[in-house]
Amino acid sequence: MSGNLSRRKFLAAGATVAAGSLAAPWIARAQANEITALLITGGPLYPKYWEKIVQDFTAKTGIKVRYDLLEFTPLTSKVVTLSAARSSQYDVYSTHTAQIDSYFSHFAPLNSYFSESELADFYPVAVKYLRDPKNGNLAAIPRNMDARVQYYRSDIYQEKGLKPAETWEELVDVGLKLTGNGHYGLVVPGQGDPAQRTFSDLLWQAGGDWVDQANKPAFNSEAGIKALTFYRDLVQKHKIVPPDAVGYQWNENSTEFSSGTVYANFDWPGAFATLSNPDTSRVVGKWSTAPYVRDKASISCAISHAMALNGQSGRKDPAVEFIKFTVGPEAQRLQFDQFTNFPSSQAIAKEVIAAAKGPQATWLQQLETTIANGKEWPKLPGFSKVCTLMFSAIEQALTDQVSPSDSLNQAAVEAEDTMRRAGAYD
Amino acid sequence: MSSIPQNRVSGRRRRSPLPYTWQKGYLLAGPAFVVMLAIFVYPLGYSFLMSFFRWDLSGSAPFIGTGNYTDELFGRQFNQALRNQIIFSVVSITVEVVAGMAIAVLVNGELRGMRLARTLLLVPPMIAPAVVGLNFRWLFNTQYGLVDALLRMFNLPNIPWLSDPTWALVSVIIADVWQNTPLMVLLFLAGLQSLPQEPLEAATVDGAGPWQRFWHIVLPLMRPVIMIALMLRIIDTFRTFDVVWLMTQGGPGGASNLLTVYAYLLAFQAVDFGHAAAVSYIALGMSLVVLGLLYGVPWLIAKRRAI
Repeated sequence: MSGNLSRRKFLAAGATVAAGSLAAPWIARAQANEITALLITGGPLYPKYWEKIVQDFTAKTGIKVRYDLLEFTPLTSKVVTLSAARSSQYDVYSTHTAQIDSYFSHFAPLNSYFSESELADFYPVAVKYLRDPKNGNLAAIPRNMDARVQYYRSDIYQEKGLKPAETWEELVDVGLKLTGNGHYGLVVPGQGDPAQRTFSDLLWQAGGDWVDQANKPAFNSEAGIKALTFYRDLVQKHKIVPPDAVGYQWNENSTEFSSGTVYANFDWPGAFATLSNPDTSRVVGKWSTAPYVRDKASISCAISHAMALNGQSGRKDPAVEFIKFTVGPEAQRLQFDQFTNFPSSQAIAKEVIAAAKGPQATWLQQLETTIANGKEWPKLPGFSKVCTLMFSAIEQALTDQVSPSDSLNQAAVEAEDTMRRAGAYD
Repeated sequence: MSSIPQNRVSGRRRRSPLPYTWQKGYLLAGPAFVVMLAIFVYPLGYSFLMSFFRWDLSGSAPFIGTGNYTDELFGRQFNQALRNQIIFSVVSITVEVVAGMAIAVLVNGELRGMRLARTLLLVPPMIAPAVVGLNFRWLFNTQYGLVDALLRMFNLPNIPWLSDPTWALVSVIIADVWQNTPLMVLLFLAGLQSLPQEPLEAATVDGAGPWQRFWHIVLPLMRPVIMIALMLRIIDTFRTFDVVWLMTQGGPGGASNLLTVYAYLLAFQAVDFGHAAAVSYIALGMSLVVLGLLYGVPWLIAKRRAI
């Protein structure tokens, strides 16, 4: 037999074997009553949390869930790669408001799976920015809210007779009084998405916005320049922020406060649990919370971790059942108990606020105020690429490479061009 | 016409059975061929095609010809990354080759402790670049880092290693030099130890000093080794990612952005695969041009001399 084997036959046989090998995992995976999920993790408690959620879901529905856990950045990269490959490897993804516009064509719309009354229970700001503005499709459903309040060292503030800042001016005044001897009055992140989030908050607080009525870039307005100038001055002029903060993202930002080097920061809900834990904080019992600062307005970002359905999934119904379970009352209560993650359901949020006592109750009320006043940058075509332009523009201004006005004006020209090419004005 | 073989006339080529040794060869090479096709040729070809499309997950991916290439070649961020890449490659390769040769000559001697020094030289290249990046990020931290702590100890001013645009690029060059100079030393050391001793002994007898022996005999004889070292480092510097990503993520404000980091940001933060692929192919093209010049120019000179 082998003597009659031609090159063509050999290659055909090789291709068949290769195709079979490539298809085998998909064939094996396509079992009834089993779905796959790519879920977010972060810290030692998350694996146990997902294990319990999956066990409870399987006990309730009989549907098995095979899942992988990844931290936020690698998870985002993997979802991008899988979406580009139109992969059906996972039926369900953990996702986030931040880059949701990139996935509008790849996540299956969830509108038909949630009734209007079900959606009305979620915070409106969360649902609004998970929708595709072009067609109203709901790309994901919020699992927990992400918003920030001010964390400050109550012991040091009391010792120096200071109150937490309420305005931009007070932020500088208090910061100047606290900075010295290796300590800083404030820390803000200065790199990548965290820098854009910080600029975004200041932009809204100064009365500006990202785009105008015609969706043209408006972040280089007078308010935008004022916001970026204030942000830069915190680092370069007033020097109340550690100099390396221009390279900080969220982790370094949080660590500066939890290590006791810095006396105030603006942080996410998870910080409450981290700062209360002696294993992760040197300032347990020495801090308190206050509302985010304001200028003309009192606005900061209110975004959410969310769950999405892969548009390529062949098991959409059981996958949606799982998604509904992860945003349901039991899962939201468990999230709050374990990580102090703020619920995306208004009913559950009211429940946990009512049950909370002391500093936690105050903090939850402050957080709810931030969410009620919260915003997010627009989910227009091409805005993900505008974000990377902004990372560079903000970082260049923060490090005095260019002036805030030059930096924003140049970014605005490039942003309009980018959004036009992506079809934002079609 | 009558000389045309029958199989050509009928439009079908006659397929002769493969000899057994060929079949065996194909069979053994088959798995490797399939793997190569799947993990090397296919992605490479696919990403090259991608560079001619607007590929951003928006659903449609229209063909835009060389649009992604022209966008980048005339774009501000690309040109900043290109400038950084050139500075990074030229400075780090120059330092690594010069220092590598100097250290190789030193450890090639019969001084005490050289055996230990040669062993220690293996350590930096063995460490994963990601670990090097993380370590240097902490070493260069202004508040907690060892380097600035030493500067403070000697009453010298702090250096904003990672937060200043100029120092950020210097910092990643230092990390790269620390990791890769020992590799150059090992390559040069191997070259030095295989040099013929006769010309050196003859030069010594003729009264040539150490510097003259090195400049006029050792260096010309070492040329093939230096060329190999340069080739390896040129390819490597155009692929450098981990160290920069972990130390600065290309910041602040793109001040230490290299082409690989810029391509990664385009692909995974801007979700713009078309532009990311174009940047990657420009980087590949540049490294090929530099390698071509490195090998082509001496070859042309030699050829012209021969004529």
